[in-house]
Amino acid sequence: MKKFLPVWLIGLGVTLAVIIIPIAIFWPKAAQAQDDPWAEVPERAVHTSHADIIKGPLDTPQQVTQACLDCHPQAAQDVMATTHWTWESQPFEVAWRDEPVTIGKINQINNFCIGSQGNQKKCMTCHTGYGWQEGAEYDFSNALNVDCLVCHADTSAYAKGEYGNPAPGIDLLAAAKSVRAPTRDNCGKCHFDGGGGNGVKHGDLDESLYFPTENLDVHMGGQDFLCTDCHQAEDHQIKGRMVADNMTIAPQEQVACTDCHAAAPHDDQRINNHTQTVACQTCHIPAMAVEDPTKVFWDWSTAGQDLPDDHYTYLKIKGNFVYDKNFAPTYLWFNGNLSYRYLLGDTIDPTQPTYINKPAGDINDPTAKIFPFKLHIAKQPYDTVYNYLLQPITAGDNGYWTNFDWDNAFRLAEAVTGLKYSGQYGFAETWMYWPTTHMVQPKENALQCNNCHGAESRLDWKALGYPGDPMEWGGRFDNK
Amino acid sequence: MDDTLMPNHSFRKYILTLGLLLLIAGTGLIAGSALASRNTAPADQASPIHPQFALLDAAGNNVLDSGQPVSTMKTCGECHDTTFIASHSFHSDLGLTDFTAPGAVEGGRPWDQSNGLFGKWNPLTYRYLSAEGDERLDLSTADWLMTFAARVVGGGPAVASRTGSPLTEGDPASAGWDWQQSGVMEMDCFLCHLTQPNNTARVEAIQSGQFGWANTATLDGTGIVEASDSGWQWNAAAFDADGKLAAEFVAIQDPTNENCAQCHGVVHTDPETPLVVTGCALDEWQTATTGQVIAAQKISNSGVNLSDKEDLARSWDIHAERGLKCTDCHYSLNNPAYYQADTESQLEHLSFDPRRLEIGEYLQMPDHNLARGQSAQFTVAPETKATMRRCDSCHDAASTHDWLPYAEQHMQEVACESCHIPELYAPAVQQYDWTVLQADGQPRSECRGVEGADGGAPTGTLNDLVTGYQPVLLSRQNVDGAAMYGDAMLAPYNLVAAWYWVYDSANGPRPVALADLQAAWLVDDAYAPEILELFDANGDGTLDGGELVINTPAKQALISGRLAALGLANPHIVGEIQPYSINHNVTRGEWAVQDCQACHNDASRVTQPIELASYVPGDVMPEFVQDANTVTEGSLYTEGNALYYQPTTKDQRLYIFGHSRVGWIDGFGALFFVGVLLGVAGHGGLRFYMALRSPHHKPQVKKVYLYAVYERFWHWLQTFAIVLLLFTGLIIHRPDIFGFFSFRYVVIIHNVLAVLLVINAALSLFYHLVSGEIQQFIPRPYGFFDQAIVQAKFYLQGIFKGGPHPFEKTREKKMNPLQQATYFGILNVLLPLQILTGALMWSVEKWPQIANLFGGLPFLAPFHSLIAWTFAAFIVGHVYLTTTGHKPLGAIEAMMNGWDEVEVHTPGEPAPAMNESANPR
Repeated sequence: MKKFLPVWLIGLGVTLAVIIIPIAIFWPKAAQAQDDPWAEVPERAVHTSHADIIKGPLDTPQQVTQACLDCHPQAAQDVMATTHWTWESQPFEVAWRDEPVTIGKINQINNFCIGSQGNQKKCMTCHTGYGWQEGAEYDFSNALNVDCLVCHADTSAYAKGEYGNPAPGIDLLAAAKSVRAPTRDNCGKCHFDGGGGNGVKHGDLDESLYFPTENLDVHMGGQDFLCTDCHQAEDHQIKGRMVADNMTIAPQEQVACTDCHAAAPHDDQRINNHTQTVACQTCHIPAMAVEDPTKVFWDWSTAGQDLPDDHYTYLKIKGNFVYDKNFAPTYLWFNGNLSYRYLLGDTIDPTQPTYINKPAGDINDPTAKIFPFKLHIAKQPYDTVYNYLLQPITAGDNGYWTNFDWDNAFRLAEAVTGLKYSGQYGFAETWMYWPTTHMVQPKENALQCNNCHGAESRLDWKALGYPGDPMEWGGRFDNK
Repeated sequence: MDDTLMPNHSFRKYILTLGLLLLIAGTGLIAGSALASRNTAPADQASPIHPQFALLDAAGNNVLDSGQPVSTMKTCGECHDTTFIASHSFHSDLGLTDFTAPGAVEGGRPWDQSNGLFGKWNPLTYRYLSAEGDERLDLSTADWLMTFAARVVGGGPAVASRTGSPLTEGDPASAGWDWQQSGVMEMDCFLCHLTQPNNTARVEAIQSGQFGWANTATLDGTGIVEASDSGWQWNAAAFDADGKLAAEFVAIQDPTNENCAQCHGVVHTDPETPLVVTGCALDEWQTATTGQVIAAQKISNSGVNLSDKEDLARSWDIHAERGLKCTDCHYSLNNPAYYQADTESQLEHLSFDPRRLEIGEYLQMPDHNLARGQSAQFTVAPETKATMRRCDSCHDAASTHDWLPYAEQHMQEVACESCHIPELYAPAVQQYDWTVLQADGQPRSECRGVEGADGGAPTGTLNDLVTGYQPVLLSRQNVDGAAMYGDAMLAPYNLVAAWYWVYDSANGPRPVALADLQAAWLVDDAYAPEILELFDANGDGTLDGGELVINTPAKQALISGRLAALGLANPHIVGEIQPYSINHNVTRGEWAVQDCQACHNDASRVTQPIELASYVPGDVMPEFVQDANTVTEGSLYTEGNALYYQPTTKDQRLYIFGHSRVGWIDGFGALFFVGVLLGVAGHGGLRFYMALRSPHHKPQVKKVYLYAVYERFWHWLQTFAIVLLLFTGLIIHRPDIFGFFSFRYVVIIHNVLAVLLVINAALSLFYHLVSGEIQQFIPRPYGFFDQAIVQAKFYLQGIFKGGPHPFEKTREKKMNPLQQATYFGILNVLLPLQILTGALMWSVEKWPQIANLFGGLPFLAPFHSLIAWTFAAFIVGHVYLTTTGHKPLGAIEAMMNGWDEVEVHTPGEPAPAMNESANPR
């Protein structure tokens, strides 16, 4: 009888099984499942050169947009649904206003260049649209005004100028032929240079990220990440929100370390125990503005004097500054939202610092974590009669930057912002917080225990609400 | 808006200060900036809990009134029991209590007078506290205080004579010294309990002989007292109307690491400033002698010029990194937060005794004997040794070492430090040579773990390249004997060798006093001409490193002659080796030694030699000091000029798999194995040759079902098991040859296979017993030898001629007599022995006492190897003999399929043994 399998082969299988199975059982357990962040990193789209697709002539930027829409008919509509276009958040209910409010560059102020209203000439350089001019309603429904090039053209072939229009001398055809998926250069043009120059606004985003070292940013330097690897987009809705221009941010709209990394990825239990109270950024971004300095103080009250201009200390149009470099962030509880956002017209106490924004969360908020912020302090104008902050016309025609007349700048603004100006102004201190989340350094550079615990702590435990150093007094979830 | 949103003051301060600075530096133009109006908040009071107190002098009067030096005993004694404190502190006592005549110290040198700094001579510091009655004097008590000022905390020998009487009543050991005038030095509470003590000023006061003012000088810089031309002046502004220190001057605290660092070594606490360590300066005593540095900083972030530093992203000391302070481990022994009963008086049923001192009682009478380990070098107050919690008091090693085979066994024999302090990253003293003097009157010394620029001598600056060093592992005799795991374990040490001249005084041997040594070497601050003539080989008028060494009898004779000329009898060179325990600079698992083959290898960390000296002065072999709790029976050897010490595993009766082996067993085993291999090859070759020459014996064959399924299964399982056991065993035995296999996994495979083999053997035995097949294995006594001889004859003769097999192979009788004898031996002797020795070796972890009954691993393991060799040889023979059937691979096929073709012995040519074998059963 011919057997299906020779008996010795079956025997061999059984024998080997008898040997291998017990060894497998006693094999030492591998360390806990490894964090596999690469699994979540998207594959980048294959580049399609548009050099032969785009046909000229293209004389106006609107023609460029039309050329794009010929093949991507939905793209402009998608962009027009984003805050990159509207410059305004969805409405929020806030406790100190009767009606829902929106927050955005279009209608609110910060403590850098203060406000865009009436200053479109300069500010719109970073709007994803063309031809937004002061004194005229902007047509937000005109798809042909969507600026595709600012995000998709090679930045060596395209730049924006006044009112968001292409800078003079741009070869629109060449720019259009260069389009591709956005690179760090596209995002960086506005986000690295926000506030009027390199590294002004963010302590964690500046031009050093164009060619970053691994020690500066482990993602972009060590792994050559693009912004869009984390800020993934669907229908031009880009993930990731800035808390300065929102009141609350839904978690699904925000980029988080845990999108790719495990929530408690350390092999040291002591460190993992921190993750419910300490944000990843707190330890892994030990310093801000590591290479290029960032602005930490801006005194508008000294502007207008005929003093030598120096980019880092004094400009006649802007006043005095302080820049700082490679310095420790400020640490606050943060649950991802704001507890307060200064809205145009809110009254202030000029003897106290006014918060432009205030991160939400405290020690009793289990969703809040200790988070690093850049604090920007300014002295900016306010109306001494009405006690609210004023938004001057600066870049706009006849604005402050033209004739250095504050009074005139506020009067011009009155009509634009609708906020009454009494004719009396002063300067009040304002504080604005900028979350620090980029420039994550290699793990070797992360903070150590003694950076926060013990005598040399960089945290003010009592200010955070602890009775003392939780290393000795116990954490907020401990029963020590 | 929300008014409660208060800004963070410290940050604001920082920003504004910075802003101000930049404004001034950058523009300097904006006058009266609003920024300037911000005030800085007052600094936090250092000790919010300590009450204000008056500073009292020795008479109990307020120093503000008397202008006298502060008395710590009186001042602190207002609330604390300073008498109790001073009498319960080895830091203060320094061996005074155990002071005795020279030579009477157990384990000490012939001239040692105590076990502490006061009376125990140290060849690094060299100066000798002269014994009473000595003719040639080195240090009086007063001199000693001035010499060791930086390491004396006051009290003990600074207030009492060697007999215990107050120094102020006169001290025969300080002839001519006016103690009334100098004052004495009470135990300096400020040195350890002040936030910013001024040790420099204190040391200066001591060195200038103003002992009474030393503690006052410690307050220099606090604003409480100020130095003036007419002496120390108390600053009335620091006191309130009641004469008490004003609150902001009460900077009393628990000792911080910086306090301890003043005497003990390098401590670095600021995370933002890079740590810098340059050389092995003796004023950083413990760093100098061991390379230990207490710092939380990552080594890669430090400023040390250390080779491959960027790869060392680990902290200098994990305990410092995790926020532990020195006093967390070295706590006051009656501190109720830490107190633990010693192991002997601990009750078996009680893990925690809640009856403790009240905080108030403790604060009044805090024991200043601090918990300590069991270092080799600090022998003072032996009763307080090993009072500290050990690693395993805080750490549950079992929960983190499940990756480690035989974890308990490792922890019985190896101190945690051995793996968790794999390397030191600062230089440490290696050798001190006092047989010669440099032109500045100092000895030659060398450090390990550091290289000078361009391979030259280290300069003690940042130009040196720190290379770090691996400590030597010595067997430590645990002071507490029955500690958790046995009484001896391997622990890391630095070894410091020292050579010096000793002469015979009337009272016994003494080290040559520094003054005498300098007199012998130097004349008018230059080398004596005779010395220069003999030592200066290149004639350049100076003695550089290579020349300044006693390496010939002539040089030795010259120096000893010059010493003798000073009146020193029998001057001769003595060398000693002092082990220095290394317990700090611990690192986490990922940086610890994890590679099994670091120790389990031919070259093993356990027996890794350490350089003792780059040369041997006077060819005098140094000897280990007698009072260290280490076993040092390894070997000293020289290689070139350098002297090395290599530890031995015999200190602790260790058998380290992969490293230890018994030469003759491996030699014999290998010889046996190779012999069988050669025999088989010769036999087989001859068979092949004969088969070519003469026609084949073509017997009649028939197919017989020889082996049942189970028989085949157990045979092959056993085959795999044994072959794999031999293979894995070989890897464990010689990882240096088979290093590409993971030692750790191989150990696991070996153990699992061994258990499989035992189970298989047991089941098979059961099968053979129950089925009766066992009979096949049992040689029949009747005619056994005759048959065996017949079979042997066949293998030696018949097989070559193609003769028939003498015994027929049948289902009932598969084995010939030789097989039976062989298997009888293997199954009844070798296999049980191998199982037994293997099981005992395995059980060393759980029941070491059983293994120890049989000689422990040092006997069991070589025995196991020996039997393994015979098994290997058996397999060779066994496999070869399977080819002796009528078809070379027939027998193997039969063992696979069950069916064999066996020779049929026709009636015409009966097999000689047919009659018996054919008997049906």
